[in-house]
Amino acid sequence: MNTVVETRADNFRETLWRPLVGASRGYVLALALTFLLVAWGLGCWIYQIVRGIGVAGIRRPTMWGFYLVNFVFWIGISHAGTLISAILRLTHAGWRKPVTRIAEAITVFALMIGAMFPIIHLGRPLLFFWLVPYPNSRLLWPNFRSPLLWDLTAILTYLSGSIIYLYLPLIPDLAELAQHATGWRGRLYRRLSIGWTGSDRQWRALERAMHRMAGMILAVAVSVHTVVAWDFSMALAPLWHSTIFGPYFVAGAIFSGIAALLVAMAILRKLLHLEAYVLPVHFDNLGKLLFLMSLLWLYFTVSENITTWYGNSPAEMNVFGSRVRGPFAPYFWVMVCCNFVLPFLLLSSKRVRSIRTVTIASVTVLVGMWLERYLIILPTLSYPHLAAATGFYKPTWVEISITVSTFAAMTMFYLIFCKLFPAIAVWEYKDDSHR
Amino acid sequence: MILTADFGDPQSVASAIRALQARGYGAEEIEVFSTTPVELAEALLERPSRMSLVAVTTAVVFGLSAIAFVHYTQNDYRIVTGSMPIFSWWSTGVVFYEFTMFGSISATFVMFLLESGLLGRRRSIPAPMLEEGRIRLRLMCQARDAAPATDCLYQAGAASVEKLEERP
Repeated sequence: MNTVVETRADNFRETLWRPLVGASRGYVLALALTFLLVAWGLGCWIYQIVRGIGVAGIRRPTMWGFYLVNFVFWIGISHAGTLISAILRLTHAGWRKPVTRIAEAITVFALMIGAMFPIIHLGRPLLFFWLVPYPNSRLLWPNFRSPLLWDLTAILTYLSGSIIYLYLPLIPDLAELAQHATGWRGRLYRRLSIGWTGSDRQWRALERAMHRMAGMILAVAVSVHTVVAWDFSMALAPLWHSTIFGPYFVAGAIFSGIAALLVAMAILRKLLHLEAYVLPVHFDNLGKLLFLMSLLWLYFTVSENITTWYGNSPAEMNVFGSRVRGPFAPYFWVMVCCNFVLPFLLLSSKRVRSIRTVTIASVTVLVGMWLERYLIILPTLSYPHLAAATGFYKPTWVEISITVSTFAAMTMFYLIFCKLFPAIAVWEYKDDSHR
Repeated sequence: MILTADFGDPQSVASAIRALQARGYGAEEIEVFSTTPVELAEALLERPSRMSLVAVTTAVVFGLSAIAFVHYTQNDYRIVTGSMPIFSWWSTGVVFYEFTMFGSISATFVMFLLESGLLGRRRSIPAPMLEEGRIRLRLMCQARDAAPATDCLYQAGAASVEKLEERP
């Protein structure tokens, strides 16, 4: 029996550690391309800092544009990982094993990217440290009533929790890698594995910590996107001042998060040759979950819009009209197609559901959810309470460049992560084979 | 003295632990190493944990500290709020909640490091290089007890037993 276990474990190692060694031409090209795009985005940001925020398209009354759309979008994507992984871990879903680490890494990178946007959006970003509560020369403190401070505390808590949640189950794999790797990799793995020996004391502490972390991270993840929703709903602006916004945002975040996870799984499966581990059943299960979230999204969207329409408040109807039949209508109906119609066609029937259709549906959901964030922010700002203040927003090349570069940054972080650490928890797979 | 015994399955390890416990060895002297978690019977090698208690206590301390801090800052430099209160429980609630969770998360991580021995002296004890699927039991005992303990381990099904070094 031991021979069988050893052979299977060797296979796991061979397959799951292979991507860590060497770099194909495609990998180097992809890394170089994403690096160039990120460098271009950073250059654009520096240009914006030097020339001033005026190089972005934000003008009165639309003082929030692409940057805040991206902020909400990326924070939503960050719900992929930790939340989904925590739910699957707490429910002891056996099929979670190839999914969790891919998901947890998405959370950390998406949060890092998302948290940058309020800073990019600042007119003077170098003064962002004013958010940190310290007494300055006039003994002024930050205003803790401000949702901006809520964002700061919520995102920092979620980011630190997510990093720990990603790191903890990595430790046993790092310890095993440390035994086999040499050079700088060996030193890196030894340092990061902090002396893990695989004793029962350590396994029990890890199990205990992971179980508790899963519960806590769930509570934090829900709070983070609720707080992001409150950034809007605390304002007395048409269609923002809504009690439904908290759960609506959380549902949307989980929806886009699952889509991002599925896209990452499909790409990694192909690139790292993980066909034996990331199976069609994983896509099928997550595809069902995506379909469920699509229905939930539709429910929230209908609920939000029907109450607005029935209420017939002039200020709200202005915004509502601009969305469904005005200048924003094309985006609105594309969003409905991307978030409901296409997922319905591609995911509702078992016969149609496959890796390819689930991945296509996930991509459309990502597009749809980005448009949803756009449609939440822009129409309300374009049609404020004062009709005379109506104005439109047009993104500039600087904002578009920075937006594109964040998608490149996500890809680049992922490419580097997969080259340094196993994309799938090897010890969890071996644990299964022992059982 | 340190004795190490290699086993091929968790059942043999469990019977070895029972036999050693019958001879008076406790969880402090016995440790089991494996490349994946080994499921032992309930109460066998019980290792009490204070992780939850410390996490909850730290969470409460962090939460209360956040309230006190926000209260202090808002009263330290009073801004004009009209008829609104200087200190608001509603808006402080979010900060309080996030700090509570932050306290709980960081305490859990620190307790993991402490309870796993990764932050303690246990790292200095030689760590075994394990073959896949093997389970190694390590016993710390007096030199005079080594022979009976070795017999005990072989009887439980150990494939090999090795004497490592003098107990420091």
